[in-house]
Amino acid sequence: MEAVIYTCLGLMLIFGVMAVMFHSMTKSAIALAAASAALGAIMYETGAIWSALLEISVCSGLVTVIFISAISLSNMDKKELEKVYDDKKRMSLLPVVLILGGAALVIAAMTAGISLPQPDTAAKAAGDLREILWNNRQADIWGQIIIMITGAAAVSVLFRESDWK
Amino acid sequence: MSAMAYIAVSFLVVPLVIIIIINLIQREFAKKVCIYLACASAVIQMASSTAEFFMLSANHLHEYRFTLLWNMKEDAEHFGVTSLSLVVMFCIGFVSFISALIALRTIDKRKIYYVNLLMTLVLGMNGMVIVTDLFSLYVFLEIVGISSFVLIALFRSETGLEGAFKYLVMSALASMLILTGLSFIFMQTGSLLYTKIGPSILIAEDGSKQTLAYVALIFLISGFAVKTGAVPFHSWLPDAHQSADTAVSILLSGIVIKVAGIYSFIVLTDLFKNVPAIDTALAILGIASIITGALLALRQTHFKRIAAYSSVSQMGYILLGLSTGSTLGLVGVIAHVFNHATFKSTLFANAAALHEQTGTLDIDEMGGLQSRMPVTGFSNIAAFLSTAGIPPFAGFWSKLLIIMALWNRGLRVLAGIALFSSILTAAYFLRLQKKVFFGKLPDKYSDLKEIDGTVRFAEIILTVVIIAAGVCFPLALLYLKGRGIL
Repeated sequence: MEAVIYTCLGLMLIFGVMAVMFHSMTKSAIALAAASAALGAIMYETGAIWSALLEISVCSGLVTVIFISAISLSNMDKKELEKVYDDKKRMSLLPVVLILGGAALVIAAMTAGISLPQPDTAAKAAGDLREILWNNRQADIWGQIIIMITGAAAVSVLFRESDWK
Repeated sequence: MSAMAYIAVSFLVVPLVIIIIINLIQREFAKKVCIYLACASAVIQMASSTAEFFMLSANHLHEYRFTLLWNMKEDAEHFGVTSLSLVVMFCIGFVSFISALIALRTIDKRKIYYVNLLMTLVLGMNGMVIVTDLFSLYVFLEIVGISSFVLIALFRSETGLEGAFKYLVMSALASMLILTGLSFIFMQTGSLLYTKIGPSILIAEDGSKQTLAYVALIFLISGFAVKTGAVPFHSWLPDAHQSADTAVSILLSGIVIKVAGIYSFIVLTDLFKNVPAIDTALAILGIASIITGALLALRQTHFKRIAAYSSVSQMGYILLGLSTGSTLGLVGVIAHVFNHATFKSTLFANAAALHEQTGTLDIDEMGGLQSRMPVTGFSNIAAFLSTAGIPPFAGFWSKLLIIMALWNRGLRVLAGIALFSSILTAAYFLRLQKKVFFGKLPDKYSDLKEIDGTVRFAEIILTVVIIAAGVCFPLALLYLKGRGIL
């Protein structure tokens, strides 16, 4: 189990770095989805089955579809995009540094014998999804509802095109 | 459901209902009424928190636990209010009310956006103080962060976007630190419920677990310090305060940094009682913030930046009070949170008045405005005397309690530094008062008049509260003594 978790951690790190470094936004979105899928696998392996399902379906699936739809709808000039991302050439060593740093952390954790998280019994318990979410994480569900409202308000304030014109 | 349950539920439901109403009714009508609805929501919150406070006291309850809508499991109670959280919620209502009053004057075109975000901000802050789980605290902390960031960028001006971006970057850093800290604690305990976390995780037999627990504390303290704007994590605060609309600056300085930062520290010190490492870290952050904030305020020429650096300095006093780990210190902290909300709101209301009338907030361009703007001048004096801790203003009592708590804990050097730093506070405010309100009136302001309308109303209310809180503070102390708290 630990080998799977550490492999997924490594994959998550690599895809995360790729998501930041890619020049193409579509590739970035796909890399982000892959990082999210790796996180979902870690959650599944540590016993948080429902969280893993939500992570893979919502974050890795739905959010990626929305990202790619938004990218395809935008008409950013390719040259302008390249200009924006030109700065990243200067940081070409960043992925290597990050990956080496991540590997060092994993080695340090294994050397020190740090045990894996002990999941809450509530998170491990199989049962009705509604019951688990409502009984154990009701405050977070309210939080998520408010985050969605805040996100909608934020998008309308920052990206409302008629106001920019 | 009992009356207490209805009131408790209203803390989340009322702002949500306001959001729904203003987004469903006809847009032109919504523009006219939205800020009044925000004022109504703030007044309801003040009344609800006061009523709940006295009900809690009458029933001799330490905490009232509740759930929203319905409960699928009898013992599942996800929210709770205490006397402390109710005081904080009163402050949230009060500062939101003042901000809405100022917004009536300063915000013209984007009123609906402002009210939507104000309500989500209030929801986030209310959520933070009523949850009973560290992860839920983090979720609501994020709501506060996102709402604040968008409020700073509300008008999408160049400076606004720059200030918002700085806040976003620092806030993201804080979130990363907090989330990592929480995950380390979760590794030890398997739960993030307040009832399941305590100092016992710091005395684990396994050395690596103990190290991990201390690393978690370092991350959490650093993350919360960013949210508080404590030195050396304060770089975002002056820029964000300066670039935002004054109605938003009032929220940021008056309540957001206290709920997002200080309240989180209160939770942390409550969970890890009498852990010397936390007390020492808070004392260091506190002293550094008091002195650095005051010294930097002395060098500023922009009214809002002086007020912002003053906030950094005053947060230092609050952190110093928390570092004592005593009840007296905690009472001083809560009193200073309330007092800072009032006198900092006053200073920003004055900033709104000055900006509306003179078109600038550069104190070098002002002078002699006392004769033209006597209400603003007087309320500024009241705010400055309270901030400096001059008796009988409210700030005197809270600082006195904090210094007494330090003295009682044997931290006499820190008490001395805190006392001495009040002179620095007086120094930068005397400079501000002299440059803005005294001296020769520039010719361009010869026709200047006092601000009218809701801004003047806010200034008068705030001045009355500062003076009344100072005069009545001994009564509050007697009440706490009567209840056996002090």
